[in-house]
Amino acid sequence: MKRVLTALWQRWLARRMPPSSEFVLSHRSIFILPSGFGLVWIGLVLLLYLFGTNYQNNLVIGLSILLLSLFNTCILYSYKNLAGLRLRALTAPEVYAGETITFPVLLTSSHSSHNISLNYPSNLAYLLKQVGADEVQALVSFAHDRRGLVSPGRLKIESFYPLGLCRAWSHIDLDNAHIVYAHPIESPLQLKAATESGEDERLERAGKYIAGIDEYKGLKPHVLGESLKQVAWKQWAQGRGMLTKEFEQPQGDPVWLTLVPDPTQLEQQLGQLSWQVNHLSQQEQYFGLWLQRVGAEDLILTPDTGNAHRIACQRALALYGQNLSTQDKTDKLTNNQGVSHKRPLPPHGQGVHAAKMEPRR
Amino acid sequence: MTMQTSTPQKVNSPKLKTYHANGPQTGDNISRQTLFWLLLTNIAVLSPLFDKTTPWTLGICAICLLWRMGIYVGKVAKPPRYLVTSLAVGAAITLALVSGEIGLLNALVNLLILGYALKYIEMRSVRDVRAVVIVGYFLIALTFIDHQSMLNTVHLMGVTIINTCVLVTLYQSKHNWQHTAWISAKLLLQSLPLALLLFLVLPRFAPLWLVPNMKEAQTGLSETLAVGDISKLTRSSALAFRVSFTDASPIQAELYWRALVLEDYDGQTWRQDTGIKQIQKDAFFFPPSRPTPARQFTPLTQQETNNPQPVYHYQVIAEPSHQSWLYGLDVAYSQDDKVVNLPDYRLYALRNVDQRMGYNASSWPKAKMDLTLSAKQRQINLKLPADSNPRTLKLATEFKAKYPEPKQRLWAMMGYFNHEPFFYTLTPPPIGRQQIDDFLFENKAGFCAHYASAFIFLARATGLPARMVTGYQGGEYNPQADYLSVYQYMAHAWAEVWLENEGWVRFDPTAMVAPNRIEQGFDAEFSPEQSYLQESPFSSLRFKTMPWLNELRQRFASLDYYWSLWVLGFNQERQNKVLSGILGDVTKTKVAVFMSVCISLIGLYIAYSVGLFRFKREQDPISAKYQRICQRLSKFGINRPAHLGPNAFAEQLIDTHQQQSPEFCREFDTLTQSYVALKYQQLADRDYQAALKRFNAAARALNWRLFGPSKQLK
Repeated sequence: MKRVLTALWQRWLARRMPPSSEFVLSHRSIFILPSGFGLVWIGLVLLLYLFGTNYQNNLVIGLSILLLSLFNTCILYSYKNLAGLRLRALTAPEVYAGETITFPVLLTSSHSSHNISLNYPSNLAYLLKQVGADEVQALVSFAHDRRGLVSPGRLKIESFYPLGLCRAWSHIDLDNAHIVYAHPIESPLQLKAATESGEDERLERAGKYIAGIDEYKGLKPHVLGESLKQVAWKQWAQGRGMLTKEFEQPQGDPVWLTLVPDPTQLEQQLGQLSWQVNHLSQQEQYFGLWLQRVGAEDLILTPDTGNAHRIACQRALALYGQNLSTQDKTDKLTNNQGVSHKRPLPPHGQGVHAAKMEPRR
Repeated sequence: MTMQTSTPQKVNSPKLKTYHANGPQTGDNISRQTLFWLLLTNIAVLSPLFDKTTPWTLGICAICLLWRMGIYVGKVAKPPRYLVTSLAVGAAITLALVSGEIGLLNALVNLLILGYALKYIEMRSVRDVRAVVIVGYFLIALTFIDHQSMLNTVHLMGVTIINTCVLVTLYQSKHNWQHTAWISAKLLLQSLPLALLLFLVLPRFAPLWLVPNMKEAQTGLSETLAVGDISKLTRSSALAFRVSFTDASPIQAELYWRALVLEDYDGQTWRQDTGIKQIQKDAFFFPPSRPTPARQFTPLTQQETNNPQPVYHYQVIAEPSHQSWLYGLDVAYSQDDKVVNLPDYRLYALRNVDQRMGYNASSWPKAKMDLTLSAKQRQINLKLPADSNPRTLKLATEFKAKYPEPKQRLWAMMGYFNHEPFFYTLTPPPIGRQQIDDFLFENKAGFCAHYASAFIFLARATGLPARMVTGYQGGEYNPQADYLSVYQYMAHAWAEVWLENEGWVRFDPTAMVAPNRIEQGFDAEFSPEQSYLQESPFSSLRFKTMPWLNELRQRFASLDYYWSLWVLGFNQERQNKVLSGILGDVTKTKVAVFMSVCISLIGLYIAYSVGLFRFKREQDPISAKYQRICQRLSKFGINRPAHLGPNAFAEQLIDTHQQQSPEFCREFDTLTQSYVALKYQQLADRDYQAALKRFNAAARALNWRLFGPSKQLK
């Protein structure tokens, strides 16, 4: 019964407030009910009314009525507090299975909103004391311990302003599904040259890139203190945040990481690959990823280097063996992943990863 | 409702502000701002209750407050829990032990105050803060029980605001006290209109059950009268009660407000008879009744109908005396349900007058009291103390011999006080055991109680049933609000003698000695400084001698009077009166419609004041005008695509319409250019004004052209 009700409730919510990465709270999306303290307050009002009646004291009755009226005023205040609050989901930073995802949400308010807490069901809340016209970032945590595509569900926005008598809240879906990478497990490097004949020592050094100035490598989040000359101002102007352009130069031949799936320890294998991908990328090595699949064509990522390549590999590992039901979901995900493209973005940021993840024919 | 918070990651972006989540909601921590307001609240809530507290309670409260202050400034640690618990248990037991002595309600109030103070000191979480605030509101309500003046109400409203501030600090982030106070005051003031409406229409009930009373020092007249008591009252400038007459009011000399009838005299003290005392005691459960004096005047002849008996209808607002007797003129009758009519023609309240109490009464001055006297009553009212006042008894026999007719005899006695050199004074010389003898033959000086005692003693000694009546005589008229104020110093004592066919008849021997006292009031006989102002140096009654200050005093007094009448005395009857004044005859539907109209009006008002209607930010007027013109153009089939800037749009429009309407295009060009200049160029002030002028002119012209049903651009 409870499950049916929950399902109905979720469906009603979905119809009323469809998922969207940007959301403005209004009367359609705000719910208000008295809090526990509010009920105690009503009790106090009744008690005072009785007290005033028994002592035939109009001032006590007046006080009880004033407190009742105050409750009414609080309902309006708490509505006004949330109404006009604008939430915008940003892409979460990359995260590995077992770590807590923190979803950044930008908030602005048409007036001034107070005491707003944000949380995902059964996760810790993030409290904002005040939100004004300037954007404020909240980091909403979401614990999740498996790799793959994770949708955190509806975000609860809650406020007890102004007196804690009523709880105004809303559940909105910010449409911010996120890919959780496989948990990296440290392991020896298992590199293979394309010819399968090179010595290990050469392999180690093969395919390395070093930081330089020749070739544009990609974008990475700006770290305070980095040269402002490197900042990708164009992307900043598009509202994608502060990013830094990276440059590099190549050195040597490509090598491959391969997965021969063993169903009994697939997760471990993926974890190890995840670690290796990171390790090789850190060494700025040139490598490809070859994932064999049972009952499907192999997934091959051609040798490359740089952060974009690392991310593409991690995504492939994270989503390995998972059914992505619809194409548009992946599209959207690639869209969200704005940080890591090797070439300047095409107009709508599509296609780069889709092309890379195409199965070999 | 406790909320946990994550540890937010640091984001080193210059544009984004990150708020750290260590607000007041993090469980154990109570913010400093909240603590500050709690300190203030504690003082504000407890200080008006100081007269209710036992010294012990006061001490513990003071310790708690000091300790809390210590915690606030960081000098002291929190008290250990066991200390607080043992203090609480100890205090509760002590209170239970003394509750018989200080009264149940007082004990409860003290318990609540102690709980408040102790909770206050061991407060650890937000939940505790809320509990303290809730109890705070309750303590404010308790204060209202015997602080009901307008000034007190304003004061306690302030305390309510302070108490609400504590809650405000829990949920708002600005750390200055003015802002907190302003928010709290705003919330309460915005709640006021709805509260007033509800106050007007919410139903009023009679007390649902018997509640304990405050044990208070009684004020005003006392149950017994030892000669000399009234002179104490004449030193008091406190208000006793106020009266407003519906139609006519009697003259000053007729204003004898009966409060008590004293029949037992033991040679020293006058007391109420035990029979009537018993009736008073049982009055709550077995209310006594007597027929209304109006029954005596059922019109029998045409003449009587044309010449109706005088009757006064009046409303009395009695000040709290913590006693039960009420005040009425001869012969009073009240139909109020909290007032009983005692068989000795007095009015009596069902409950002690612990707070201002209003009641309606009517008096028939020509009505007769007790046309027949029972044997027992006769005996009571003839009884004299054994072996007392032999000289007075001798005088009585002389009177009896000389004047056999009772009425003549009584007036002769009254005349005696007039002829002999008696002297009316508030500070009479002391009298010995034979009170009446000493007064009549030695001192020949005294005040009302002396004269009345002597008169009654004489009357009884000559075989006429007589009794002592105490109450008030006179009243100060307030022309602003048309009512009489009766003060404690107007306390008076007089005699009633029972005569065949006339019942009890009032005799006031004081009037023989000091006629001014009766006819013109207390002030005509005594100087205020010598009597009631002697012990109250700050009484506003001092202003009586200065005309304009006196008028001011009376204005304030009348405000206070209206306050008692309309706020404190607002009951079902007045409620009906007000509602029928607004609605005509009161029906349920009418009340419902009235309520809903008022509530929606108030709702709209509050919604407006919290800014619900200003949800959409207004565009700046320049953009709004431009948009309006674009909208109007769409009526003519010219739509501005969203991606087209104003300049491009103007170009397009001029290209297509140049041929048909060149005038319009020229205007539109001006509009666009001035619009772009105003919006996107940095203009000097003078240029800005010029551009604005051009823009407005063009907008006006275009609006004029676009106005009307025509589908063709003019």
